[in-house]
Amino acid sequence: MIEGLSPSSDCTAHNRNISHAATSPITVVFSSPVIDCRSTYNIVASSFVDLSRLKQGVQRRHTMETSTKESLELKKVDCDASEIEYVSYGGEHHLPLIMNLVDQELSEPYSIFTYRYFVYLWPQLSFLAFHKGKCVGTVVCKMGDHRNISRGYIAMLVVIKPYRGKGIATELVTRSIKVMMESGCEEVTLESEVTNKGALALYGRLGFIRAKRLFHYYLNGVDAFRLKLRFPRPELHPSLPVMADKYGSSHIPSDLDNSAFEQ
Amino acid sequence: MSDTKFQASEAFAMASNDRTDGNATVPPPRSAIHSGDNSVWADASPLLHAACQDLKEGELIHGDNFNLYAAMSALEIMDPKMDSGIACKYYSLEEAIEDGAAPIPISVDKTTDVRCTIDIMDHLLACEATWHKGHSLAQTVYSCLYLLQTERTSSHALLHSYCKVIQETCKEVLSVVSDARTHEEEDLFTMSYGLPLGGNGDEKCLSMLNAVEETVSRQLRACKASSSKKRVSEDIEPLQNNPDLEEGYCKALLCRLRFRKHFYHLLISMRRPQGRGLELGRKHIASCIAEIDSIRKSSMFLRARAQEISGQNRSNTTASGNQPIGFDASINCRLAAPTPPRAIEILSWEKALDYFVKLLQDLDHICSYTLDPSLEAALLFVVNFQKSQPDLVSRAHLQILLVQGGKLYGREPIFSVVIRAAGLPEFTKSHVIQENEFMVQLGQLVINLLKILCTNAAWQRRKLGKMLQDWRVTYVQLELAFEKEFGETSNISDNKHISITIFQQILPWVEEQTYWIAYRFLILGFELELYSVHDYCMVYWYIYAVLTKLAEKKHIRMAMSSGTAKKKTKKKRDYLKDARTDYQIPAAVLFLQSQIYLAEGLSMMLAALRNEHKLVPPQSPFNTEREVFMQQFELLQKACLPDHVSYVTFKESTIHADFSTQVLSDHFKEAHRIAKDVKSSFAHDADMMAEIRRIEQVAEHNNIALNVISRVGALEPSLKISFTFTHHPFFATAIVKRS
Repeated sequence: MIEGLSPSSDCTAHNRNISHAATSPITVVFSSPVIDCRSTYNIVASSFVDLSRLKQGVQRRHTMETSTKESLELKKVDCDASEIEYVSYGGEHHLPLIMNLVDQELSEPYSIFTYRYFVYLWPQLSFLAFHKGKCVGTVVCKMGDHRNISRGYIAMLVVIKPYRGKGIATELVTRSIKVMMESGCEEVTLESEVTNKGALALYGRLGFIRAKRLFHYYLNGVDAFRLKLRFPRPELHPSLPVMADKYGSSHIPSDLDNSAFEQ
Repeated sequence: MSDTKFQASEAFAMASNDRTDGNATVPPPRSAIHSGDNSVWADASPLLHAACQDLKEGELIHGDNFNLYAAMSALEIMDPKMDSGIACKYYSLEEAIEDGAAPIPISVDKTTDVRCTIDIMDHLLACEATWHKGHSLAQTVYSCLYLLQTERTSSHALLHSYCKVIQETCKEVLSVVSDARTHEEEDLFTMSYGLPLGGNGDEKCLSMLNAVEETVSRQLRACKASSSKKRVSEDIEPLQNNPDLEEGYCKALLCRLRFRKHFYHLLISMRRPQGRGLELGRKHIASCIAEIDSIRKSSMFLRARAQEISGQNRSNTTASGNQPIGFDASINCRLAAPTPPRAIEILSWEKALDYFVKLLQDLDHICSYTLDPSLEAALLFVVNFQKSQPDLVSRAHLQILLVQGGKLYGREPIFSVVIRAAGLPEFTKSHVIQENEFMVQLGQLVINLLKILCTNAAWQRRKLGKMLQDWRVTYVQLELAFEKEFGETSNISDNKHISITIFQQILPWVEEQTYWIAYRFLILGFELELYSVHDYCMVYWYIYAVLTKLAEKKHIRMAMSSGTAKKKTKKKRDYLKDARTDYQIPAAVLFLQSQIYLAEGLSMMLAALRNEHKLVPPQSPFNTEREVFMQQFELLQKACLPDHVSYVTFKESTIHADFSTQVLSDHFKEAHRIAKDVKSSFAHDADMMAEIRRIEQVAEHNNIALNVISRVGALEPSLKISFTFTHHPFFATAIVKRS
C-alpha cells in the first residue's frame, strides 16, 4: 500500500532529533525493498540504524505472536460510536500502537522506517481510534506535490476486526482528508485491491472514483484500483494546449450556472 | 552482498541474541559463511550497547545525503518476511548439490529413476505455467537445480534433453515478450539476470530430444511385441526394470517429450516473418493439444504407481502426486526479482495443463488469421481476440505478428495502410505526401495503436486515454498543413490535385479513428469495473456523444471514398443506380446508430431514475457530481472529444428526464428496429451478427423494464431496480423487481 513517488523534499522535521555516535556510523547494507507492490525497485544503502527494537529487548517475532493471539478474539465488541475517541498522532508513544495494529492486520512487512517516514513528516495526517484506552484503529497518510498538483495519499488504514462495521474507518479517513483539504491539497489518492469491497464502498461514499485499474499490482497477482478524490476548485479558464488557439473559447464550459446543479 | 556486509548482519544477529538470552555468548549459527580474504569477524555488541545508552527513543543516526524516504527500503535483518537470506535452505547451488538435492542419476533403480524424471517434467510444466502467469523465471522454472547446471545431467539422456529443450523454449518465449516491449506491468516476466538461459541454438536441443523420443518409441514397440509374444526384432534395453510397467512408463514419457517437441516447433514457426509459419503452427498446435490429452490420461497410471510408495509428501504439481526431486524455490533468492522473499504458489499440474490448452487455443486463434491488409479488419481482429482474455505470451505473439519493422505484418508500409483505410485509391500510396512530417507522425500513431491494443485491458485503457491528445494534435497539424498549402478550400474536385484529395479523405478518417479510440477508452471502463452504478448515467451520455461523432465522421469518410470511386468509373456508371446509392446510409453507420440510440436510452433512463430519487448517489462531504464528471472524462475533455461537451451540457440534457413520456421507450425501440434492419448486411460476418443480436436483446429487455416502471410508477417503494451485464459486456440491462 505504499505509493512509489519520486523522493519528496528532504526531511527536515527529524533533523532536530539527530545525534551522531562518537565513532563513525555503522553502515548496514540492505539488499531489497520491502514494498509489497511494484513501485520502487531501487536498491539502497541505508545508513539508518533504529535501535528501538534492541532497546525494548523484544524480538519482532515475539511481539507479533502475542498480538496475533489478541486478534483471534473475533467476537464483535458492543460499543457506541460516541465511546470511540479519535486522536491525532501525538508522538513516539503512539508509534508502537500503530505498528502493532498494521503488523497484525496486514501481511506485508513494513520496517520501522516506513512508519517513521509518515508520522515524522506528516503527524497531522495520522489518526488513532481508541476504545476504553485500547487502540482499535489507525490511518496513516502523507501529502506532497505530484506533477505540480498538491496531493494527499492514504498509505495505511486499519481497524481491528471486532470493531469493524461501526464507521470507525470512515471517521479516521474523513478526519485525515479534512486536514488535507484544509492544507491545500487538490486531490487525494490511494490504491486498493479490487477484491476489497469494504474499502471500495467506503471510499466510494466519500466521493472517490476508480481512476485506474493496475494489473497484478500486488505480488499475489491481485489487481488494484487507484482511487482518487478531487476537491472542487474554482474553474475560470481551463488551459487547453493547442485547442484554445484553434477553437477559441467556444468550448470552454460556462461554469457560472453550476449552482443549479449542486447538491 | 559482499563479505563485510554479511558479517555486519551476523554481528547484529549475535548482538540481539545476546540481549535476550542473557550474558552467554551464542556461537555463530552455521559456519556456511566464512571469513573472506580481506575481512575478519568483529564483535559489534559493545558498540551497540553504547549506542543504546546514547540515543533516546525516536532518535536516529544517519548519514548525509540520505533521507527518510529512501529508508523505507530498509529490511529488518532476520525477519523472514523481509530477509531473504534467513528463508534459504541452501546458501548456494554447490551446497545444495553437495547435500544431494539433485542427484544424477536420480535413483540407481531404473524404475524409480524414470518415475522421478516424469515428476520433474510435470513440475517443470507447472513452473512454466506459473512463470507465464506473471512470476519471475528465477523462482519458477529455474528453481530446478538440474536446469541451473545442465552439464551435470549429460549422462542422463532423458533429463538432459528435456532440460535443454526447456531452456530453449523459455528463451524463445522470453525473446518474443521482450521484443514486444509492452509488458510494463508484467515486468517480472522478463527478469532473467544471472540465469543460464542457454543459447547454443535450437538444432542441437531438438536433435537430442528426437533421439531420446526415438529410443523410447523403440522401447515401447519392444515391450508391446514381447507382450504379444511376437519375436523381438531389435535387441533393445528396456526403459526400466519392471516389464509390467514398461508400456505405461513409455507412453507417459512419449507424450511429454512429444508435447515439448511440438511446442518448441510452434514457437519457431510463429516467429517466422510476415506470418509465413502460421499454417504450420496450426499443425503443431493440434499435435500439442493431442499430446496434452495423452499426458492427462497418463495420470491414472502414474498415480497408481505413486500410491504404492507410502509416506511421501503429496504434491499437486505432478501427475503422480509425488513431490519432485531437485527443486529449491529459494535457491535463486539473490537473483530473484527485488521483492520480499515469499513462497510463490506454483500452479497445480491440472491448472498448468488447462493454462497450456488455453494458450494453445489463443495461439491457434492468431494462426488462423488471414492477415487482411485492411487496417479496420486488423483492429477488429485484435478486439475480438482480446475477448477471451488472453495472457501475456499469446498477446505478445499477436503484437509481433501485427507490427514488424514498422509495417503491418512486416510487409505493408504503414502509409499505404492508412491510404487504404481512408478509402483512397491504391495509386496514391506512393505519393510523396507520405514524407510530410505529420503523415509520418500519423503512421507512428497507427503503429502504436496496434501495439497498445494487444496489451492487457488495464494498461491498454490508460495508454488509449493518453494517446487521444496525440491523435487530436496530429489532426490539427495536418489540417493546418493542408490549409497552409491549399488555402481555405473545401469543394475542389479537381483530380489533378491528388494531394488535396488525400488530405480531404485522410482528415475525416483521422477524426473517425480518434473517436473510435475514445469509444474504446470509455467501454473498457466497464470491463475493468471502473464505474460504479452512479457513474453509468454520465458514462452512457458520453458514449452517446462520442458515438454520434464517430458515426458522423465514418459517414463522411465513406461518402467521400465512394465519391472518389465513382469519379474513377464515371463513364461506365449507371446514373440511375447512382441516385439510389447516394441516399443509402452505409450499414456500418446504421449499426453505430443503433448503439447511439441504446446509449442515449440508457443514459436517459438512469437520469430519470435519479430524478425520481430511485437511484440516489452517495452524498460525499468532499465533492459533487461535477468533480466526478471532470475526473472521469478529463482526458477526453483535454482533447476536446467531442467539442461543446461539458458537465453543464450533460446536466442540461438529463435534468428533465422522466418516465412520463414515450421518449425513453422510443430510444430502445429505434435501437431495436435499426439493429433488426441492418442484420441482412452482415449475414456473412458471424461476430457482427452476434453483436447485433446482443444489441437487440438489450434494447428489448430495457424496453420491457421501462414499461413496468411506467405502469407501476417509479415512485412505488416496492419497486427495486438493478443493472446487469448478462446480455452485453458494456450495455447494461435494467432488472425490475417487485419486493
